[in-house]
Amino acid sequence: MRRLVTARLSAVVFCLAAAASGCSSMGVEPWERDVLAKEEMQLTTDPVEAGIDDHIYFSKEASSGGRGFGGGGCGCN
Amino acid sequence: MSKQNSRSIAASLATAACSLLGTSTVAPVQAQEEPGWDFNTALLYYGESDGRVQDFSLNVLANRAFVDDRILSLGLTVDSLTGATPSGALPFDGPQTFTRPSGKAVYTTSANEIPLDDSFLDTRVALTAGWAQPFARLYTFNAGLSASKEYDYVHIGGNAGLSRDFNKRNTTLSLGLAYAQDSLNPEGGTPVPLSPMLDVGDLSNRMGDQDKDVVDVVLGLTQVVNRNLLFQFNYSLSQSSGYLNDPFKFLSLVDPVSGDPVSHTPAPGISGPSHEYRFESRPDERTKHSVYGQAKYYMSGKVLDLSYRYMTDDWEIDSHTLDARYRWPLGDRRYLEPHVRWYTQTAADFYRISLVDGAAPLEFASADYRLGEFDAITVGMKYGWKTRSDNEMSVRLEYYMQDGTAPSDQIIGNQAGRDLYPDLDAIIAQFSYRF
Repeated sequence: MRRLVTARLSAVVFCLAAAASGCSSMGVEPWERDVLAKEEMQLTTDPVEAGIDDHIYFSKEASSGGRGFGGGGCGCN
Repeated sequence: MSKQNSRSIAASLATAACSLLGTSTVAPVQAQEEPGWDFNTALLYYGESDGRVQDFSLNVLANRAFVDDRILSLGLTVDSLTGATPSGALPFDGPQTFTRPSGKAVYTTSANEIPLDDSFLDTRVALTAGWAQPFARLYTFNAGLSASKEYDYVHIGGNAGLSRDFNKRNTTLSLGLAYAQDSLNPEGGTPVPLSPMLDVGDLSNRMGDQDKDVVDVVLGLTQVVNRNLLFQFNYSLSQSSGYLNDPFKFLSLVDPVSGDPVSHTPAPGISGPSHEYRFESRPDERTKHSVYGQAKYYMSGKVLDLSYRYMTDDWEIDSHTLDARYRWPLGDRRYLEPHVRWYTQTAADFYRISLVDGAAPLEFASADYRLGEFDAITVGMKYGWKTRSDNEMSVRLEYYMQDGTAPSDQIIGNQAGRDLYPDLDAIIAQFSYRF
């Protein structure tokens, strides 16, 4: 099991590194960040609401995490 | 340090601060011209139909920016929970009596109703604290602590993360680690897995407090594609070990031909269950893998937010989650945001709607509907506006619905005509104020 996990982790690290190198042709210059700097363009625009939703779905479904840690912290599951 | 980078630091910090409570978030704070506090607050009502779970919740997340983009984050959540929740027992033509989880009394459910345990009453207080700061120009470090307390449940956790920017800060790689230790101490003790529900006053099948540990690792890649598009990919590994049962869930022991629950006669003069029930038994290890992708696309003022998650685990649960939000500005100070979420999961390999009397004993079995096969849909709408003093308010209303199916190969005799899966309908209503 541990070997499988290590292998999967290694594969993911490799993919992320490959993706990162492939990403070097993407992006914007620093002075082109006007739109990206807008609050509504942040990956999470409302952290409290995102936390509430994660907590609800953690309590009612068998999946959690993905966006961040899956964690515990509640007797509801 | 740029304003944008300051936000990304805040995002990392909020992730650290919130995520151990099962509330993972990547959060921007308001860009700060000068260091100061930024408060995100929300009042939530979550209510399920048919007298099931009701939750009133107060949430506060405060971020304080210091010089050099160092950020302190403090969070508080208070939940007030009431209502009833499906116990795992099957409905039946007659009333059913159960011993309460405390072992001190009984309760009875009506014929042909999915049995609900109505002894659900709790207040949960959760605290988070986090710190983030950049270093060595392209790196950001964050660390956090979390703790929560319910009547019969205590959580403590810690987390740390590191991210590095590449490619003119268009690419960010991040690594996060979290550890949580949770302790369960239900009144009357935790039941021995697969042991029978006993008469009132008999706690001989109870164990002492139980613990579980959760370790999470998240690897992330965030990429700016162009002026209007960015995306994020995450891979998450989550390992839980210890007592992973829900101490309040059990299964009906049924007749192999009729499928009806097997009767139980309490000892003379003592109250007890009307039928035979067995407390659930889950494996004491669980490993989950998730991949998550999110894209944000700006279209002349409108913003499309799409995300997808695939999760698989060694309990043989696979799930898919699709989420879409569309932020639609109404002038400069108001917006509407419709939201749709679709979720589906397969059942755990030990999910059973009942245990069959006389059959070979099982090592693991649970009738918890959350481990069954179901689809879920959320639809909602949010309306947000800026006040005269440029603070932000929003209201949202959402409807959440679960639709599950009992495995056809597990349905026995009279069970065929009964409602075997407790579908769920819930309302989510929230008011948020940010200042």
